[in-house]
Amino acid sequence: MLEFLLKITTYRAALRIMTPILLAALGGAFSHYAGILNIALEGQMLLSAFIAVAASYYFGSALWGVVAGVACGIVVGLLFGLFVITFKADEFIVGTAINILAVGGTTFLMRAWFNVKASFSDPGIVPLPEISLPFISNSSFLGQLINGQSSLVYLSWLLVIALYVLFYHTPFGFHLRATGEHPEAFESAGGNVALIRYIASISCGAMCGLAGTHLALGYLTQFVLNMTAGRGFISLSATIFGNGNPLIVALASFLFALAESFSIRFQSIGIPPYFVLMIPYIFTIIVLVIISARRHTNELME
Amino acid sequence: MSVKKRLQDVFEQTGSLRRAIVSILLAMVIGALIVYLQGDNPLVAYTALFRSAFGSRASVFQTLANSTPLIVTGIAAAITFRTGVVNLGVEGQLYMGGLAAALVGVYLEGVPSFLHVFLALLAGCVVSFIWAAPFQWLRVQFGANELVTTTLSNYVAILLTTYLVAYPFMKPGAPLAMTKNVLPSAYLPRLVSQGRLNLGFIIGAVLCVFVWYVINRSSLGFEFRMIGANKRFSHYVGIRVKRMQVLAMGLSGAAAGLAGAIEVLGTQHRFIQNISPGYGWVGVLVALMASNNPIAVLPVGILFGALKTGGLGMEAATNVPSELSDVLQAIIILFFAANVVFPSLRKESVLKKKHAEIAHPEEV
Repeated sequence: MLEFLLKITTYRAALRIMTPILLAALGGAFSHYAGILNIALEGQMLLSAFIAVAASYYFGSALWGVVAGVACGIVVGLLFGLFVITFKADEFIVGTAINILAVGGTTFLMRAWFNVKASFSDPGIVPLPEISLPFISNSSFLGQLINGQSSLVYLSWLLVIALYVLFYHTPFGFHLRATGEHPEAFESAGGNVALIRYIASISCGAMCGLAGTHLALGYLTQFVLNMTAGRGFISLSATIFGNGNPLIVALASFLFALAESFSIRFQSIGIPPYFVLMIPYIFTIIVLVIISARRHTNELME
Repeated sequence: MSVKKRLQDVFEQTGSLRRAIVSILLAMVIGALIVYLQGDNPLVAYTALFRSAFGSRASVFQTLANSTPLIVTGIAAAITFRTGVVNLGVEGQLYMGGLAAALVGVYLEGVPSFLHVFLALLAGCVVSFIWAAPFQWLRVQFGANELVTTTLSNYVAILLTTYLVAYPFMKPGAPLAMTKNVLPSAYLPRLVSQGRLNLGFIIGAVLCVFVWYVINRSSLGFEFRMIGANKRFSHYVGIRVKRMQVLAMGLSGAAAGLAGAIEVLGTQHRFIQNISPGYGWVGVLVALMASNNPIAVLPVGILFGALKTGGLGMEAATNVPSELSDVLQAIIILFFAANVVFPSLRKESVLKKKHAEIAHPEEV
């Protein structure tokens, strides 16, 4: 009954499910370090997913899908920055508004452009190509586990390392973290808090753009109404879990993805799907409580 | 001094009204642009929108019917914001309360109508209170961000209720997951012969006044407001901050559950999967725009209800999808929160000036 735990496909699926969660969570890390609680990850992902599908369909190219998805994420990130940083609006209100705008806006555009209501799929939508790493044999254990995934899966792993270096070993990373830790001190030292926060918002948008693109073109090749289904908040939990550290964020994203991958397997052994679909959300809440409790006690001890 | 203070208060209040009006106008301009880009005439679209929202008695009743769930969920969100707690789980709490009310409505037999309605509404409130409060407890006890946990709780609640109506409580042979119809004795009476406007609207309106009274005139409300204003001070003067915040979250959940119960007993007469098209989320927007003033929730709720009604009418008259209403709602809130038009009223500007003084003393 539980033999799926030993099956390689379970973990392969987890790697695929992990990608959008990880990408958005890395985006969340930018905001986290800049001292912004960005709850708009969800909406940014959803909008990008739609734009990526539309672009892939119109231009007949997955690359254009990626470009458009990321561009959309950047525009929304800029919008978030404009309202939160320049207009001083409450980040929570702006985030909520963007999330609602994303659901309404994608439904609106789906009906206006494609005249469909619940989902848009078409053979003309080009999915992201699946690639295999040439230096790993397809028949080996590792090859079976990681080869033949969509290209953004590998990009997300590279980004984990790149962002780790960026955050901890570059001047920009230092400025970014200073902005979140102590904006006044950073400003007194001659830093530009607003600029850094804009860069963080835009980077976060771009990462969510990639996440949405992978969600829509990496494994479904269609746009479904509200297809992010809370992944943005699972990502945010991963960001909080890792306290912004890309390596720990990646670990958390993998855990959350594993929960979802297991839950899919549970369906095949006859547990009602609605029950099974709850698992990732409940698991995320439990993990969040545990990690918060540990930090909470540490704070009290200090 | 007191006159000046009072003038400032009035200015601030009309300020937020003016902000609301300007935000709505700005959103309408952007909406017109979207309609124009869609190849339709904005004037025709907006005329259709207004006419179908307010054009006749029937359409006004329809608007009030559509605003009912938004008002009640708006109150739910407004209750917590006042105490510095954020409840983003309104949508899921609505589902839990709706199902609880439906079960009482279906399975409780042989009680007089008013009692049946009352018990069903109460069941909705109680179940959602019990569902919501623990998330704030997790916050005060372990520091788990309630923004994230309550949002995730929506998905759990929606899936759980859908499971319950798809398996144990499913109406046999129904095409979708739904309960049996509630007994007629549990129906909320309709207020008009045509349309869906029912007693739920009156309950919502009374709730606005009641919650305003509790928050502004009772000792419970005083403690809530004090916690919202200064948590540490409240703690030092002996308010049990944690307990009160958990209570606030529970009460907020209870109101959200009431919204679900009203939707079931007044409109749908059964619990059906996907019963809410995001009422809980719009309720959060309503509360934000009402600046957490429970009385203001009523007009804002009606405004958003009118947008919903008008959107459908607009879709019938033009090629513009009715979801434009949802987009407009979000844009209105963005502008309202940003306070683009009257930056002088921004409270932060004072802080910022102070900050600038400290940072660059020679320039000021």
